[in-house]
Amino acid sequence: MSTGAPQAPARTKASDRVARMLAMVPWIASHDGPTVDEICERFQVSRRKLLEDLEVLSLVGVPPYTPDTLIEVTIEGDRVWLRFAEMFARPLHLTPEQGLALVVAGRASQALPGTDAGGPLATALVKVAAVLGIDPDDAVSVALGETRPGVLDRLRRATAAGRRVRLDYYAYSRDQRTTRDVDPHAVFAHEGAWYVRGYCHQAEDQRLFRVDRIYGVEVLDEAFTPPDDPDTGGVFEPGPDTPRVTLDLAPAARWVVETYPVDDVGPAPGRSGRLRVRLWVSATPWLERLLVRLGPDVRVVDADVPGLADAGRNAARRILGRYGEQAADGSVTGAR
Amino acid sequence: MSAAKLERLLNLTALLLETPRPLSAVEIRDRLGMYADETDAFRRAFERDKDDLRGMGVPLEVQAVPGVLPAVEGYRIPKDRYYLRDPGLSADELAALHLAASVVQIDGLSAREGLLKLGGMVGESDGAMGLAVAALPAGNVGPLFGAIAAQTPVRFTYRGTERTVDPYRLDFLRGRWYLSGFDHTRDDERVYRLDRFESGVERLGRPRFERPATAMPGGALEPWQIGEEEAVDAQVLVDAAQAPWIVQHLGPGSLAEERADGSVVVTMTVTNRDSFRSFVLTFLDHAEVLGPPELRADVVEWLEALAA
Repeated sequence: MSTGAPQAPARTKASDRVARMLAMVPWIASHDGPTVDEICERFQVSRRKLLEDLEVLSLVGVPPYTPDTLIEVTIEGDRVWLRFAEMFARPLHLTPEQGLALVVAGRASQALPGTDAGGPLATALVKVAAVLGIDPDDAVSVALGETRPGVLDRLRRATAAGRRVRLDYYAYSRDQRTTRDVDPHAVFAHEGAWYVRGYCHQAEDQRLFRVDRIYGVEVLDEAFTPPDDPDTGGVFEPGPDTPRVTLDLAPAARWVVETYPVDDVGPAPGRSGRLRVRLWVSATPWLERLLVRLGPDVRVVDADVPGLADAGRNAARRILGRYGEQAADGSVTGAR
Repeated sequence: MSAAKLERLLNLTALLLETPRPLSAVEIRDRLGMYADETDAFRRAFERDKDDLRGMGVPLEVQAVPGVLPAVEGYRIPKDRYYLRDPGLSADELAALHLAASVVQIDGLSAREGLLKLGGMVGESDGAMGLAVAALPAGNVGPLFGAIAAQTPVRFTYRGTERTVDPYRLDFLRGRWYLSGFDHTRDDERVYRLDRFESGVERLGRPRFERPATAMPGGALEPWQIGEEEAVDAQVLVDAAQAPWIVQHLGPGSLAEERADGSVVVTMTVTNRDSFRSFVLTFLDHAEVLGPPELRADVVEWLEALAA
C-alpha cells in the first residue's frame, strides 16, 4: 500500500541489538542487583547473549575511556549491578511506530470483553499517551468488529477449554437463522469482523461463522479434542461444486474484484471499459445482494446454474412486492 | 555482527549524548579511537553508523561546529529528545500492555521494542487463550501517527490531488484505517481511507498546528454519512431475523420502534443516498425504507429498473 514514503534507514542486526541494550541498561542500573534470569525474561534474551552484552558494556563509557569513565559491570552470584551508566539513564524515546503499536494494541484490547474500564490497561494507556503527547481517545480508535455482550468472551473460553458450543446463528449468505453445534477451533479478527472457525455438527464439516451474526452462545458439556493442525484457510473457500457466475462490471463496480474471491478477470469484449469477471457464488442470496446493489453497473453474462442469471431481477421483484403492499394502503411513512 | 561494532555504536551514542557542543566527524574519530585511520574506510563506517542510529530512532542532530571557519558539520544527540520520560508504569500496567500487544498486532510493527523501553516483558502473553489474534494492516499509519503526536502537517496524494493536511486522528473501522484532518488544499476537514492513498506520507515537520476543539469526531462514519448531500433522517423497518444485528450495528440510539413481531424501525441520518440505498438493499426483502417519501421513492425506482 505504501509507496515512495520517506523511510528511516533499514534496521540492521547490530542496531537491533544496540536498541535492546539501550532499553535494558537503564532498567538494570535503576534496580538493585536483579538476577540474570529476571533480565533474560524481561528483555527476551538468552543467558549467553546477555553475558556477552554485559561484557561489551564494560567497554563503554566516555573519553578518555580510563577505567573510572567506563560503565562498571558487577556480576555476583546470579545478580547484576551496573554503575556509572548515567549517560544511559533513560531509554531511547519511543519512535512513532513503537508508540503506535502500543496504543493500538491497548485501544483495541480495551474493546475486548472482560477488559476492566478502569483497570491497569486503561491507566497504562493514559500514561503512555502522556509520554507520547497525545490524548488516546482523540488520536486513535480501533474497532476490531462488533459482537453482542458475552458472545466473544464465551467463544474464546470455550475454544481455550475445548468445549462444544451451541450457536444461535444468522447465516447471512443463505439468509436463514439457524441453530448450530460447533467445536470451536479458533477465534480471530479479520478485516473489521470477528470470526470463529470450527467443526459444525449440522454441516458435518469445517465452517466459518461471523461473530457479529451470532445472537447467542451456549457452552455445552461435550468436550472435544482440538485438531493438531487447525484449518487456517481463507474466509471463503470455494469447493468443487460451488457454482460460478460471469459478470460484466462497469468501472464504478470494480471494487467487487478487490472484495470477493474471483476465479477469472479480464476486459469485457468491445470498448465498453467494463471488466468481465467470473465469481464463485457461495449462496444465491449473496448474488442477489450484489446484483440489486450494483443495479445498472453490472450485467450477468452467464451462470453455471439455471436461475442464477435471473437472480437480480427476481430479488428486485420480491423486494418491490413488499413496497407495493404498502403503497396500496397509502401508509408510506411507517404509520402501521 | 562483531562485538567491536556493537561497542563502537554504544560508545558513539554515549559520546554524542555527553558532548556539550556538536562534534565534527574528525573529532569523533579521534576521540573514539575505534574507526580506521584511512579516510575512505572511516567515512564509510561512520555513514553506516549514523544510518544505524537513525534507524533506531536516535535523534542525531547536525549543526555547524561553533567557532570553526570555514563551517564544518558537527553531530550531537540532545538528551531532551533522546530520553524517554518515565511514564511510571506499575508492574500490573506493564503486564496489561504486554497482554494487549500479544492479542492485537499491526503488520510489520512490533510492540515488543516499545515494551522493552518501558521496562520489558512482564506477566503472561495471550498464550493461554492463544486464540484471538487480530492483525491490522500497517501502510502509512506509522508516519501519520508520528505527525498526529507532533501536531505537524503531512503531504500525500489522494484522488489525484497532492494535499497538505493537518492530521487529527486515525480510526480503524470495518477493516480499514481512516485518517481525519484539516485539508489545506481543500480548506476543509476531510476523512481519507488509507488504502486509497496514492503516495507515501511525507512529514513536513512544521508549522505546528493547534487542533480545534470543534474538530469532527473522526472516521467513525458509516458510508451513508460520508457525503455532502443535505442530511435527512431516514426510517428503515428491519425484520426480526436481522433486527438484533442492525441495532447492534447502529447503536441503541438509532432504535425508533420495536414491534410485536420482533421487527424494528431504526433512524439513520443520511448524507449519501447511493450508499444508503446500497446498505438497505443488503437486507433484500427483510428491510424497507418507510420514509421520507423521496428516499423510499428512490429505492422503488431503482428496483423497478432492475425488475423490468
